[in-house]
Amino acid sequence: MEMKLIFFSAIALLIPVLGQTEEEKASYEVFELMTASSPSDSRSKEWKPGDGITLEVSGMEWMGDTLAISIRKGEVWMIDNALSDKIEDISYRLFASGLHEPLGLARDGDDLLVSQRAEITRLQDNDGDGVADAYLTECDGWNVSGNYHAYTYGPERDGEGNLWVTLNLGMGKLSDNSMGWRGWGGIIGDDHRFVPKALGMRSPSGMGANLEGDMFYSDQQGTWVPASPIYHLREGVFFGNQESLGTLKDPDAPFQLSAVPKANVPYPIALKQSEEFVPPAVWLPYNKVGRSTTDIQVIDTDGKFGPFDGQLLIGEFTNSSVSRVFLEEVGGEYQGACFPFLNGFPAAVVRLSFAPDGSLFVGMTNRGWSSLGNRSYGLSRISFKGVTPFSIQEMSARSDGFDLLFTEPVDEASLEGAFEMSSYTYEYSSSYGSEEIQTKDHGLSVGSISDDGKRVRIKVEELRPLYVHELRTKGVRSSDGRSLDFPNAYYTLNKIPKS
Amino acid sequence: MRAFETGAGGGQIFGVLRRRNGFGKPSCLLLAVFALFCCLSPAKASPHVVGFERFHSEEPTAEGGAVLYSELGCASCHGGSATVVPRQGPRLINLSQRIERDWLVSFLKDPESGREGSNMPQMFHGVADGEVEAVVAYLGSVGKDIKFPADRHANAERGSALYHEKGCIACHAPTSDFRSPHGSGEALVPELAIAHPDFQKKTSLEALNLFLSSPSSYRTDGRMPHIQLDRQESLDIAAHLIDYQGSDPRELSGVILWPKASAELIESGKAIVTKLNCASCHDLPGLKADAMKPLSRVVEEEGAHCLSSEPTPGVPYYDLTAPQLASLNLFLTGARPENDPDGQLTLAAMNCYACHDRDGVGGPTSETNHFFIGDEGLGDSGRLPPPLTGIGHKLQGDWMKSVFAGEAESRVRPYMSTQMPPYAAHAEAFTKWFQEMDAKPEAKDIVIRPDDIESGRKLLGIHGGTNCITCHNWGEQKSLGIPALDISNLDARLQSSWFHEYLINPASYRPGTLMPPLWPGGQSTVPDVLEGDTDRQIAAIWGFIKDGQGSPEGFPDRSGGQFELVPGERPIIQRTFLEGAGTKAILVGFPGEIHLAYDGSLGYPSLVWRGKFFDAYDTWFTRAAPFENPLSDDVYAFGEGGGEGRFSGYQLDANGNPVFLIERDGHMIEESFRVETGKLIRSLKWEDGEAPKVSHPHGVEVASEASAKSLTFIYSWK
Repeated sequence: MEMKLIFFSAIALLIPVLGQTEEEKASYEVFELMTASSPSDSRSKEWKPGDGITLEVSGMEWMGDTLAISIRKGEVWMIDNALSDKIEDISYRLFASGLHEPLGLARDGDDLLVSQRAEITRLQDNDGDGVADAYLTECDGWNVSGNYHAYTYGPERDGEGNLWVTLNLGMGKLSDNSMGWRGWGGIIGDDHRFVPKALGMRSPSGMGANLEGDMFYSDQQGTWVPASPIYHLREGVFFGNQESLGTLKDPDAPFQLSAVPKANVPYPIALKQSEEFVPPAVWLPYNKVGRSTTDIQVIDTDGKFGPFDGQLLIGEFTNSSVSRVFLEEVGGEYQGACFPFLNGFPAAVVRLSFAPDGSLFVGMTNRGWSSLGNRSYGLSRISFKGVTPFSIQEMSARSDGFDLLFTEPVDEASLEGAFEMSSYTYEYSSSYGSEEIQTKDHGLSVGSISDDGKRVRIKVEELRPLYVHELRTKGVRSSDGRSLDFPNAYYTLNKIPKS
Repeated sequence: MRAFETGAGGGQIFGVLRRRNGFGKPSCLLLAVFALFCCLSPAKASPHVVGFERFHSEEPTAEGGAVLYSELGCASCHGGSATVVPRQGPRLINLSQRIERDWLVSFLKDPESGREGSNMPQMFHGVADGEVEAVVAYLGSVGKDIKFPADRHANAERGSALYHEKGCIACHAPTSDFRSPHGSGEALVPELAIAHPDFQKKTSLEALNLFLSSPSSYRTDGRMPHIQLDRQESLDIAAHLIDYQGSDPRELSGVILWPKASAELIESGKAIVTKLNCASCHDLPGLKADAMKPLSRVVEEEGAHCLSSEPTPGVPYYDLTAPQLASLNLFLTGARPENDPDGQLTLAAMNCYACHDRDGVGGPTSETNHFFIGDEGLGDSGRLPPPLTGIGHKLQGDWMKSVFAGEAESRVRPYMSTQMPPYAAHAEAFTKWFQEMDAKPEAKDIVIRPDDIESGRKLLGIHGGTNCITCHNWGEQKSLGIPALDISNLDARLQSSWFHEYLINPASYRPGTLMPPLWPGGQSTVPDVLEGDTDRQIAAIWGFIKDGQGSPEGFPDRSGGQFELVPGERPIIQRTFLEGAGTKAILVGFPGEIHLAYDGSLGYPSLVWRGKFFDAYDTWFTRAAPFENPLSDDVYAFGEGGGEGRFSGYQLDANGNPVFLIERDGHMIEESFRVETGKLIRSLKWEDGEAPKVSHPHGVEVASEASAKSLTFIYSWK
């Protein structure tokens, strides 16, 4: 594990604590279970089938202390003793094979549900020999034209037990998005058919429910998607990508759009044109936080993963990183802020899963696109080391500004002149991504500070609903003299609260 | 009112071209003035010069005037064009075979009636009808007989697809209800689009085909660029434009035969054409143009002139809009840009900006953007033409010349549907011009250290390198991911100093590119190669591209067939996209060299083959997910007539043989396969209902056994 040290320091650098030694800085520690570049890398000249696992992680699910992993080659592996600190104690066994590019995995009793391009498949081990012997169609009914980009993601369970599936748009040769629910999300129906619920997706490669059980999905910047968003996924809504409109002609379409929004206008204007058109709960501004967002994983660890329980972690492909999202309900809808969180992974982060012990497993594969982490795949475990990072833990909206909750008490003296804010939106258009437009700087002042020194109210002039409000800090210190791990936060202010 | 442009970049460039950024609106006053023009002059038949309307129509600029001065043909008579390639009128040869006479007559009398927005001034006001007839007679006599290409079948529908994909819509409006790949079905008519004439009134299918097959033969100034089309393509596009609904070439007719004209009439027509100085714009054999006096302050000048508000007999009449007049006046009265130091006048005049951005100006508009299609896996770089910013520094001179000359190997972006039209006649001039504009004498060429070249192989590759081949093709070898352009020949295309600059910050040249900065801020992301020295690393990559042998590290070696799946004791099952078995194909490789493909979409077997089973490389490890084929030519397809059903999955028996579960007509069927001693054994079992219908693979011996609730078929080969 030659890479391990390099990677360790990469994380450590991003969670700095002043006045301590390098080793003591880390709030989070990484353990690499497997990273490409070993002889098992499928792209090595020496590799041949049978030589090992190409762990291009596309789905993760826990069966006790055993981690089930689907890989893009079309296999499901069981990783026994996955929580061991000794590489040699961790073992791998093949559970299922011959699948067509699985991109998601969910447990259902003793069975596993796995996505394939053309169906969701139930894997059963009926004879108890540890290898699947039944591959049953759990759900199908979408168009598979043979286009490479028409991926199938899921299933992912929400609080009511619905299993959600999302269907990527096709792109380029052989693509056909005009029918068969491309760009839609839905649930697995009782008759094993796909039940469409919402449309307007582009590359919905990640889903995850929050603690309340509400489902969210991530999309990726591209055509019709100006920057990577996190959406609340539910029935009857439109997320903006008009390439998914073709299937509205299908008699099984659950609803119609009251209007097709006109393009080439700012997003806040576009949103007003159709009742079903909803804004993302959070935008992840391009390059600042997200480029190609992937999985969503709620933090539910009773503090074992640090002070962020209840928040969402978001995987990031191109930047090989993990971002953090804080959500709150304002006016009956989710909105909130995003923050950079963990950087420096060896490959594109595609799947996230918390182990029973509260450590985070990060599954990686960069097949098909480039990523800053230049390995072709990897599986890492991130553990919280008990050192609370000095972070902006929460950013919540108020009628006259924002409430910032820090993980540690702040040094009041460091707050003077420490904050700047600007807001912006995006253009709604069929183009590939959008610049930030209509950027405006806001006057800002520091209001009250809570008695424990952790909560700081900032008053902001002329808040703009439906705009991203970018907070930039400079020189904010904790009372014990530490600097913030990441100075900036990005709040998607869909609605301004009354108080 | 036309839509506002949107897009990246923007801002004011040298005070010359204004790109309206985002949703910035022109001032209310300008809007009001503009609206007033529209109201007062509903029948205005003004020329339409895209490069003016797009960049200079909101407030008068001398540069806008310069564009008009060139494109309206002012410079043709009066001299002093600031564009690199001066505007010329079309060559008026063989008109009697190419153009309908009636259309020409009405065009001469009122160019606007022949084509909306025509740049041709009115020349024949106050000229008697008889004289126009004489001019037409003379024009009909110019040029030798032409031969039209031999008859072929035309397909207007295919022509429509070509018209919308090849780049025609960069300048012209989309036709009919063509749906863009990202559209919601609305057919937008871009305000800037250059209008077509009524082709049915103007010309014939064969003549339009002749024109489209070689526009540069008639339009030598490159304003209608010469898109390279093969014979079928030009015919199909012509059929689309002229709305030809037939397909049988014997139905074709040329233009209506022109009446024979007397020599006297032709001579008198020629005299009128000479007097009107038509030859200053149009290439007419044997006629010379008279140079006219240089212009100044014409708009305020007393007396008759080209820009008078009312037509004057014997003087060209341009029905200009007020903004056009204002800009032209600024140009004529102010300091004239005699040449084009930044290229903005020429790029606007020739409408290069329809496709290309340069220094943040131009590029597809929000209305045309979605018609540029290509491989979206590459982001916008996969479908939008590259920027021309610093192009004279980017490209080597010989390469640029070959691009302008339209040489086949200069097409390096096969994924892009829009084609760069060649400007063969101007290749030298354009190349020299760009090189002079963009010269960067301070830029240093890369110096290759021979000892570092081998590190270039590593850096280009994926084993601890910078992963170039994850996205980029290398000669014939496809990348491991998206098909970004071939980088094995960059040394023939690019200047090395530009290459170095580009790698440090790709987005500065091409905002939004998927190409990541691998040396962000000049710092290498690969510290263990060549001591992490950025300059040496980039030089090593350049050196390997130029002088290295072989390929970058990490392309899979498939020559040994490692990815062939060879069934051992138990069958191998693999799903994929398979030709002949659909997108839900389940491949079963049995021991004993007999294999099966089951079509999961139909719930029915589709292929049997003997010999080798399957090469899994593309299914397992590529992004492309192509349709696959059996690894054998000894293939037998199942005949029609079998009962299809809903596939519900499969189970494996103790030996690993599959039992497919199919629901047909409400009843469950178990359909199992196994191989024994050179035979494929297929069994169907059911609990309820009638025996299922079956068909068998063609060309295979079939034996069968039946019992109450089961059927068994044994397939064998002689």
